[in-house]
Amino acid sequence: MKVLVCVKQTFDTEAKIELKDGKIADAGINLIINPYDEVAVEGGIQLKEKKVVDEVVVLSAGSDKAMDAIRTALAMGADRGILIKQDTGADEYARAIALAAAIKEENPDIILAGHVAADDGSSQVPTRIAEILGLPHINVITEIEVADGKATCTCEADGGTLVAEVVLPAVISSQVSWNEPRYPSMKGIMQAKKKPVTTADAAAADNKVTIIEFAMPPAKQAGIKVEDDPEVCAAKLADWMKNTVKIEV
Amino acid sequence: MADKFVSKRNLKFLLYEVFGVDELIEYEYFQDHSRETFDMIIDTAIKIGTDLMYPVFQEMDADPPQYMDGIVKTHPAVRTTMSEFGQGGWINANQSYEYGGQQIPTVIQNVLQFIFCAANYSLNAYPGLTRGAANLIVHFGSQEQKDQYLEKMFSGHWQGTMALTEPDAGSSLADIRTSAEDTGLGYYKIKGTKIFISAGDTDAVDNTIHMMLARIKGAPAGVKGISLFIVPKYRSNKNGESEFNDLTCAGIEHKLGYKGSPICQLAMGENGDCHGYLVGEPNKGLSYMFHMMNEKRVAVGIGAAAKATAAYYAALEYAQQRLQGRKVSEKDPLSAQIPIIEHADVKRMLLFQRAVCEGSLSLAIQAAKYLDLASVGEEAEKYDLMSDLLIPIVKTYPSEMGILSTSSAIQCLGGYGFCRDFPVEQYYRDIRIDTLHEGTTGIQAKDLLGRKVTMKGGKAYQLVIEEISITIGQAEVIPDLKEYAAKLTKALDVFKEVTDCLLELKQQGDLEKFEADAAIYLEMAGVLVVAWQWLMQAITAAKALTSGVSESDTNFYHGKLYTFKYYYKYELPKIEGLAAVLKNSDAITIKMNPELFLD
Ligand SMILES: Cc1cc2nc3c(=O)[nH]c(=O)nc-3n(C[C@H](O)[C@H](O)[C@H](O)COP(=O)(O)OP(=O)(O)OC[C@H]3O[C@@H](n4cnc5c(N)ncnc54)[C@H](O)[C@@H]3O)c2cc1C
Ligand SMILES: Cc1cc2nc3c(=O)[nH]c(=O)nc-3n(C[C@H](O)[C@H](O)[C@H](O)COP(=O)(O)OP(=O)(O)OC[C@H]3O[C@@H](n4cnc5c(N)ncnc54)[C@H](O)[C@@H]3O)c2cc1C
Repeated sequence: MKVLVCVKQTFDTEAKIELKDGKIADAGINLIINPYDEVAVEGGIQLKEKKVVDEVVVLSAGSDKAMDAIRTALAMGADRGILIKQDTGADEYARAIALAAAIKEENPDIILAGHVAADDGSSQVPTRIAEILGLPHINVITEIEVADGKATCTCEADGGTLVAEVVLPAVISSQVSWNEPRYPSMKGIMQAKKKPVTTADAAAADNKVTIIEFAMPPAKQAGIKVEDDPEVCAAKLADWMKNTVKIEV
Repeated sequence: MADKFVSKRNLKFLLYEVFGVDELIEYEYFQDHSRETFDMIIDTAIKIGTDLMYPVFQEMDADPPQYMDGIVKTHPAVRTTMSEFGQGGWINANQSYEYGGQQIPTVIQNVLQFIFCAANYSLNAYPGLTRGAANLIVHFGSQEQKDQYLEKMFSGHWQGTMALTEPDAGSSLADIRTSAEDTGLGYYKIKGTKIFISAGDTDAVDNTIHMMLARIKGAPAGVKGISLFIVPKYRSNKNGESEFNDLTCAGIEHKLGYKGSPICQLAMGENGDCHGYLVGEPNKGLSYMFHMMNEKRVAVGIGAAAKATAAYYAALEYAQQRLQGRKVSEKDPLSAQIPIIEHADVKRMLLFQRAVCEGSLSLAIQAAKYLDLASVGEEAEKYDLMSDLLIPIVKTYPSEMGILSTSSAIQCLGGYGFCRDFPVEQYYRDIRIDTLHEGTTGIQAKDLLGRKVTMKGGKAYQLVIEEISITIGQAEVIPDLKEYAAKLTKALDVFKEVTDCLLELKQQGDLEKFEADAAIYLEMAGVLVVAWQWLMQAITAAKALTSGVSESDTNFYHGKLYTFKYYYKYELPKIEGLAAVLKNSDAITIKMNPELFLD
């Protein structure tokens, strides 16, 4: 059995994002594997360690820099990589078309991905891939059991969990609480460079969405401090909420 | 806590742009490496530092190891870190493939050390000491010893220590008294007391392996009668079962800083049943230890540079946010206060820290690269000699100046610098150890002046001076750096003059006087070689600026050049004052008899 994990390279979640001419100034910003996808990579590696699957393939669509994300996944323990060269400005639609084309060629049994990307947060790509390939999609999983050509997944559900069974092949996207991704080991890092990575151009698709502008969130306003006896404080605060900030109840 | 504790940009600048360490890949021993692997190793180390070590940096200080019922209880992070380092191969990364390592260069090993120490110095001590102890077994142990200990130590299941110091033998290791009696049964009976043994006991691991110096009964007095033993806390008996080895931790000290790792008092053989296993040949113990000394002393310098760097970033972050006061020219008392980073005096303090930290790190990387070239290069002797000469400086400059640098970080935070809400007071306490362990500054000074400057007919000294002159030559042809090249030339001349003056005292046989101000000489040597390191960085930055670079890189290189100029304006002139002290042969410190201190 083969598992394929989709990984996106994103800005380091710790990085300070600055805008220049309405665009994100990316010079000098550290790039990492989208933390949600990292969980999917770990999940794939664990399936291999449990001998449920024989091979873990990582797939990324992006610029040449995305090779670092693939190498990191290989250093964690994935077996080989595929880099689909695509403009970093591709939208979710174009991205999903490119990834789905590559996945079709690989014909994996399980397609893993993070349920969301830490940068644009649109949560579309795994669902779109499933749709394009005509496969079922299970989302936000926190556990997986694979047997007899089926996967039993525990997923987050509103206020609780649900357990779903799906016939493979399927697209399965991970919630962060699924596992704790490992750090690449020294040995893994040395082996990563020898593991095969193929590159290909993305299947052609035009964006359907155009980003018009980026803007930083407004700077935090100073808070207010109300000092008095508790009852007076409560009254003043209630008044402030109602008349100043105009919170509707 | 501050967001940042190391700068990846600066590490890459030093490694690749200044020192071209990717050249090491040309050597067969390092051929499996590439810049890609170096980068990934560094990125992963920063991630481990950020996720695992930095978050418990203050907690481990506030909640130090506790001695309870003969056992030292350490913070839970020690267990997770030892296990993570063991599984990830970070303890033996610099070993050869034969020992399960990845043959990473010493220079990369030191950069890892830098990252982990900046994240959490105390926590790094556990795997760091284990690495050092295991390294002794790799170099001098028998095959049986290697089979028995290395795997458990490299995997982080067993802690390693260096057990040298005793109540009457600190700087003077020749006076070690712990005894070893040959039983003829393949082990020695060890008896004695050790003090100040870092990580000498911890409940975070299953066993502790002490690399211990002891004197075999009947061995000659002094350094020639000291042997090295493996003395485990639990030994394995004939049936392969683990049994207590009559080695107890009798207590731990309460320290100023570096609190997350205990220093233990060890009692061996109280019941006459402590077994020690001789490593290598009898009476060679100190020379084995000294063989490892260079790497350990570079590691101390790196650790000091790391702590000072983390303090610098905390001060920098604070200075950008703290609003206080107004520009001198601003007369309106109702105008908004400005961030203190806009005050010249605060910038001066930040520049001082940056000059010390990045100068120290550069020097340590330089020495580590020499150690690599000494082990794989064609001119092994040359690099061996140069690293040998530099090591007392690599250990001392960051340690001594790092104290002042972290103190400056406190100053930048004003009253908050003195309080525990911010981490800088801890860095100030934590860095204070570095002038003491692995040989005090006084001992390093004697090593430099009394031994290294004159060894091999002064060859090491000459070689380093030649290297400095080569850098000066490179700077002379860059118009913006010409005046600085001249300044360094002058400083170098003063240094040579002072050295000649002192060596004359030696020739005259006045050894007391010759070494009396060795620490001042070491200080002077530090100011000089760090000026050399800054000139190298300035050459790289100046050249980079002439080829179109991005805006953030332009800022980075200009920042480098200003820090370099700061060093030449504020630090390098100290050479003159130190030279005046050293050339004055009044010998006040010799003439001041102990009774004159009585008042
Ligand atoms: C936190 C910590 C961790 C340590 N970890 C370890 C460890 O893991 N293993 C271990 O074996 N030891 C360890 N030590 C011990 C450390 O190596 C010694 O403290 C150090 O070598 C100094 O020895 P001492 O404390 O006996 O000082 P002393 O030797 O008594 O020195 C006191 C002062 O006298 C000066 N002095 C001494 N002799 C001379 C001389 N001949 N000429 C000029 N000046 C001299 C010294 O420079 C110093 O300023 C540790 C110590 C500390 C504080
Ligand atoms: C232990 C302790 C006891 C204290 N006791 C008292 C007390 O009893 N009563 C009391 O009122 N206060 C007390 N203080 C407060 C103390 O006086 C202040 O901490 C001190 O004046 C510095 O102010 P600050 O902490 O706000 O630092 P800041 O003013 O924020 O200074 C931070 C840094 O910026 C620099 N800086 C600030 N403004 C300028 C400028 N215009 N130009 C150049 N550099 C500038 C400072 O030199 C410093 O390096 C105490 C503080 C401590 C830590």
